Amino acid sequence: MDAILARYFFVGAAMFLLGIFTMVSRRNAIYVLMGAELILNAAALNFVAFARYGAAARGPAGAALDGSMFAIFIVILAAAEAAVALGIVLQLYQHFPSIDVSKPNRLSD
Amino acid sequence: MNDFSFLFFGGCALAGSLLVALMPRLVHSAFALVLALLGVAGLYWTLGSDFLGGVQLLVYVGGITILFIYGIMLTPKDATRWSLPGLVLPGFVAVVPVGVMLHLAWKGLEASLHATTTLEPVPSTATIGEAFLTRDQYLIPFELASLVLLAALVGSVYLARRRKES
Repeated sequence: MDAILARYFFVGAAMFLLGIFTMVSRRNAIYVLMGAELILNAAALNFVAFARYGAAARGPAGAALDGSMFAIFIVILAAAEAAVALGIVLQLYQHFPSIDVSKPNRLSD
Repeated sequence: MNDFSFLFFGGCALAGSLLVALMPRLVHSAFALVLALLGVAGLYWTLGSDFLGGVQLLVYVGGITILFIYGIMLTPKDATRWSLPGLVLPGFVAVVPVGVMLHLAWKGLEASLHATTTLEPVPSTATIGEAFLTRDQYLIPFELASLVLLAALVGSVYLARRRKES
């Protein structure tokens, strides 16, 4: 049963790496946010895979639920994060005529 | 059956992530993100988390993607090119850990191709609903999450509003 975990790890690891690559290889703020979403999804996938096929699945009954719960809270926080981050990006665009994340270099006018 | 659905949805997730990272235009990356998120929703279903797959579909595929597309429409299309020259040194440092990580993951993947024991899915929605409303389990995190969402909603509306010209 542990062997089957590995295939989910492969998908999770690859998604995580691609997310990191998306975040660091572009300077557009929207690309950075998309990379963050990929990373969050990879982490949540690992939580669920562990809860299903890891040691937790053989433990007490409530333990198998924890993985799903973690993933649900990750989804909630990712939604909040995306909304606030896009608000910040729009504000960035009003202060600097660009959303290049390497351009902003001051906090006030 | 489960093997096939894993390969299909895992392939969707990987192909989508790859396209997000490599597509030259922002809108194409946003639609590739839909593919990746759909793949992850399917992987949740193969893991027996039917409720979570539905949440992923509603919140990520339906909500966050729309938010991204609005974000793309409201901002200029600048700096979408690769900024690779700055990546040479960090990439050089990252080669070893990334290689080890992918090697381990690949070895595990090879081992898992022979594994055939998969668990039967059990409906989880009722259990999750009860856990959210039981004080000893997840009632307080659940209520705090609604506060976080309210704060994020008010905060993002405040941040995104247009300032008066002065």
